[in-house]
Amino acid sequence: MEHRIDAWLILAVASILGASLVTQNAVAGVLGTQLLARQLLWACGGMLTLLALSRIRLDLYARLAPIVYALGLAALVGVLFFGEMRSGTRGWFAVGPLTIQPSEFARVATILMVAAWLARRSGTRLSAKEATVVVALVVAAAGLVALEPDLGVTLTYLPVAVTALWLGGLPRWAWIGLVVLSILIGVAAWHTGLKDFQKERVLTVLDPERDPFGVGYQVRQSKIAVGSGGVAGQGVGHGSQSLLRFLPAQHTDFAFAVWAEATGFVGATCLFLAYALMLYRIGMAAVVAENRHGVVLAALVGAWLAFQVVVNLGMVLGLLPTTGITLPLFSYGGSSLLSTCAALGVVQSVWRHRLVNQ
Amino acid sequence: MMEIREDLGPVRQRAMVLLLAVFLVFGALHLRVAQLQLIEGAHWRRMAENNRLRRLPLAATRGRIYDRRGHVLADNLPTWNLLLFPDEARNLDETLLFVADLGIDEAFSLHRRVNKRGADRLAPMVVGENLDWRQVASVRSHQSDHPELSVVAGFRRHYPLGRATAHTVGYLRLVSEEEFEANPQLDPNSRVGATGIEALADDFLTGQPGERWVVVSALGRQLGVVRENPSASGKDLAVTLDADLQQVAAEALGERSGAVAAIDPRNGAVRVLYSAPSFDPELFSGKLSPEDWKDLSDDPRHPLQDRCLQGTYPPGSTIKPFFALAALAEGLITPDWTVQCTGAVVLHGHRFRCWRRGGHGRVNLSRSIEASCDIYYYQVGQRLGIDRMARWLKTFGFGHRTGIGLPSEAAGLIGNPEWSRRVRGTPWYPGEAVSVSIGQGPVLATTIQLARAFAVLANGGRLVTPYVVVDPESADPIDLGLNPSDLARIRQGLDLVVHGDRGTARSLARLPVAGKTGTAQVVRLQEGIDSDDLAPHLRHHAWFVGWAPIEEPRLVVALIVEHGGGGGSIAAPTASAIFSAALGEEGDSQSEQRLRE
Repeated sequence: MEHRIDAWLILAVASILGASLVTQNAVAGVLGTQLLARQLLWACGGMLTLLALSRIRLDLYARLAPIVYALGLAALVGVLFFGEMRSGTRGWFAVGPLTIQPSEFARVATILMVAAWLARRSGTRLSAKEATVVVALVVAAAGLVALEPDLGVTLTYLPVAVTALWLGGLPRWAWIGLVVLSILIGVAAWHTGLKDFQKERVLTVLDPERDPFGVGYQVRQSKIAVGSGGVAGQGVGHGSQSLLRFLPAQHTDFAFAVWAEATGFVGATCLFLAYALMLYRIGMAAVVAENRHGVVLAALVGAWLAFQVVVNLGMVLGLLPTTGITLPLFSYGGSSLLSTCAALGVVQSVWRHRLVNQ
Repeated sequence: MMEIREDLGPVRQRAMVLLLAVFLVFGALHLRVAQLQLIEGAHWRRMAENNRLRRLPLAATRGRIYDRRGHVLADNLPTWNLLLFPDEARNLDETLLFVADLGIDEAFSLHRRVNKRGADRLAPMVVGENLDWRQVASVRSHQSDHPELSVVAGFRRHYPLGRATAHTVGYLRLVSEEEFEANPQLDPNSRVGATGIEALADDFLTGQPGERWVVVSALGRQLGVVRENPSASGKDLAVTLDADLQQVAAEALGERSGAVAAIDPRNGAVRVLYSAPSFDPELFSGKLSPEDWKDLSDDPRHPLQDRCLQGTYPPGSTIKPFFALAALAEGLITPDWTVQCTGAVVLHGHRFRCWRRGGHGRVNLSRSIEASCDIYYYQVGQRLGIDRMARWLKTFGFGHRTGIGLPSEAAGLIGNPEWSRRVRGTPWYPGEAVSVSIGQGPVLATTIQLARAFAVLANGGRLVTPYVVVDPESADPIDLGLNPSDLARIRQGLDLVVHGDRGTARSLARLPVAGKTGTAQVVRLQEGIDSDDLAPHLRHHAWFVGWAPIEEPRLVVALIVEHGGGGGSIAAPTASAIFSAALGEEGDSQSEQRLRE
């Protein structure tokens, strides 16, 4: 038996995409209308992908997962050799006038694989061996992305691994161990791995006036843009000149700042509500699913999207360091939009087939 | 199939916990938005006001141009420019009126430029160049009214020798709209070489402009530097010109129209290229006023034309040594072959006269050069025929560009029957070949071509390529394979032109110079009329082309005085100043020696 698609989720996604297009239109004066046209095309394609993937039966995802995952890894290896270089990162396949970013799609493949694998475990705790397999599945893909190197996208694999372990279940001592381990890794990275500009980005969060025209410049401009939006905003296309002039990456990483400046607290709150609704409906899909596979699949997608939203907004609002993580469905970018919609389509498949046991 | 009812309790619970955690973080982020927009909104809006980003161009100094001795031919002077950031203006019309009131530019032309500017909103426009202290003070004192205006330091091209090197060193022009469209990276306010060495070596001289991104307050005060790409200066260039000689040439020509080209016959290094009348090249360093442009373009003497490279003239008698050499090489005459000059000869049914009414009597090769007998060369020309004359002239570098590398060089002209049919569309008259044999009629040469051709005689038979900028890939001199004894005969004749008792350039006799005078007719003289009686613009062009010192030539000078009159009476004395200066102290001692002999 098949249920109807979740209209609330569609509403939330459509609202976010609409707001995104309004924002792309607002910066079109600076960046040209070509980006707007492309984003419109991607948005339509994304919606169709979502609807199409929601019709596929859940057990098919489980069976196809290893193949999809293998294809994803192959694409990640291929891009290292045949990919196009953009500002130091070899992460794109050029296909005619378009570019495809395999790291975005491989993440969905990884989620499918991890979910399919976890669905066949039973019991409330993962064994050490099982936990290792889960981590290895994620690290294989994330490691390839890190080689490009694309640290922002690599980071978005983190919630997939952590959530998989959380859902699979680990004893308390293991969690304490993981926290201690990550602190140790953080300290070690600070002293050896991180480059100076990356350290500066972290320090700027702690002390915003540290270097207002250097590393702190972007965050400061972002805060000015958001803050000067006030209650009702300055109007779309009428945003203070600072928006047009200062904000770097205004159509990608900092797109939310453009929206917040143009529409103010009212608009920002609406967008927050849309994201909250979307995540809530994903959560509902997870909670009502009648099999483990469905729960895990929806929860992994939800955790990943929530992570990206939180990290991006934290950066735009000056609470987290600049990392280059985009706002899903909102920032400009075809691969990110399509892969997000594909993941949402899988969640919808969970929703529609929630009472069908495998 | 798995068990029908698996225990989903724990995994569901964990998913719920996750959802709850996400909503908590979401709530916190939303509080942050509220803090920024609702509580601190006014503060951030004030910050936005005092938060203008500007892109300031950093000018790259253009490389200096030096002469062979290190005298500066082109330099940069610091100057004040006025920048306008059009997007920041509260009332652009009022701003442009303010600029116009300062006398910097006219309001309507400013308007036109602002409307035409490209899409890059952050780029400023240079609305004024070379501001004087009064204008700078005016802008500075109104800075708070016009934060969109900014006085910045810039550079202005300066040519220490001014008019003396105007054509050869060249001048600058603004980047054209086509160039800007082809390469949007260019700064539309920048200048590139328009003519002369400035154009020839533009890539070498041009630096890489930089830019600085700064944040300024609402009043235009700079608060901080966001990013800076420093500019890189252009490279300095040493050229072969001799500034001192260039000035001597300019003084020697004085107010007369004409040209001087001087090269080192050993390698083709150009020492002098001077064209008169000249102009002030610094008129083009800033904004050229319409009046100045009108004065330049309407001047009937065409000061912008480079007479050295673009002016083509009948070479007159200066061509004779080359026909003599050709006839010797072809075995058509011997040095002892003579012609009886009676002052005129009838050829092809027409009477052709010698310049000397009374005739020269019996004339051999060296006497023909010394006295410049026309009848002798009419006969040489008859023996050679037009096709061989044309071929030999080409061999000596006439009729095609010398390859000096400077822009807009003319090729000159060598007429022959084929050319006559193809270009002129009329048949070739045998009488024209008679004219060509004394450098009249359909044969035209540039001053630099004559200097190059005489360098062949001076250096023993090698055709050099003149150059002002050393190019490692430049062509080696071409050995023309001339018979040394033939050359020696010609050189002897050219020595006699200056030092012989019947020479046409005896005014140079105190100098170790060999050369040839030429008097190129602008119109054919009627019987009994002297050139000096003609209207100034119909008078003959006066040539002198020669080299010094005679035995070890270091300098070939080709000089023309337009409508000056006789080569011997006008051009040779003018050239003497240049030879004297070039020979300097060493030359003086040699010439003294010669005087004592």
